[in-house]
Amino acid sequence: MKLTDLLSLCQTTAYTKELFEEKDIKFAFCSDLMSDALVIMNSVKDKKILEKTLLITGLATQQSIRTAEMLDVGVVLLVRGKIPSEKVIQLAYESNIQLYSTDLTMFNTSGMLYQLGIKGVKYDIQW
Amino acid sequence: MVKECQIIAGNFELAGRASSELKRFLKTQSHMPKSFISRVCSASYEAEINIVIHAVGGFMTYEAKDHEVKLYFYDDGPGIADIKQAMQRGYSTASPIAHMNGFGAGMGLDNIRRLSDQMIIESSPRGTRLTLIFKVGVKDE
Repeated sequence: MKLTDLLSLCQTTAYTKELFEEKDIKFAFCSDLMSDALVIMNSVKDKKILEKTLLITGLATQQSIRTAEMLDVGVVLLVRGKIPSEKVIQLAYESNIQLYSTDLTMFNTSGMLYQLGIKGVKYDIQW
Repeated sequence: MVKECQIIAGNFELAGRASSELKRFLKTQSHMPKSFISRVCSASYEAEINIVIHAVGGFMTYEAKDHEVKLYFYDDGPGIADIKQAMQRGYSTASPIAHMNGFGAGMGLDNIRRLSDQMIIESSPRGTRLTLIFKVGVKDE
């Protein structure tokens, strides 16, 4: 699914307009706990998957941007109408992470994207 | 070559800065696979967050050689009273401010153990030293 289509479907607000780059989004992961994002997304062996992944979170602090940066995930979507602070937006620019926000809830955003064929990132390996 | 980064306790705005710097450095090491770099930096980020949450202050040093990265985290926090208990998933003494920042669910140390190839914790009431060793290998295939 094209990022542009996904963004218009979720009626998002863009916070990093100058960073916009069209992407083909095929996977998503949602969590408010960054420890889970770090360990589960790290289990994905094929890193090309993460380049096509969207991080959906209700956490509007610097930590969601840092987490995306560590994982090489290029797009973060804030849900439940979260508004990031100027410092968070600045960090997103510095880290080259596209940052968006939607008024939809995490469940409804995920459900809508799942229906359209976006797959969830899950444990790729067994520890 | 050993490099050092400062970690400021209680400052969630700057939390992750040291791991970002590490990531930028490792990206210049073209022989290291992307999945390896991501694994090292995710563990580093968790360890950095631990210092931000629990310590009074600290720093990280990193060393990269061939297909190996060594990270050392030093802090002057209160120390970990019971390391075995702290390693258990779900055990946490983190404050509500850590929860507001997407951490503090008692996953950190266990996640670091999973992500690293070798993990050594030495702790006393005067502080904690965490050594992490990563080798390019099966975890990155």
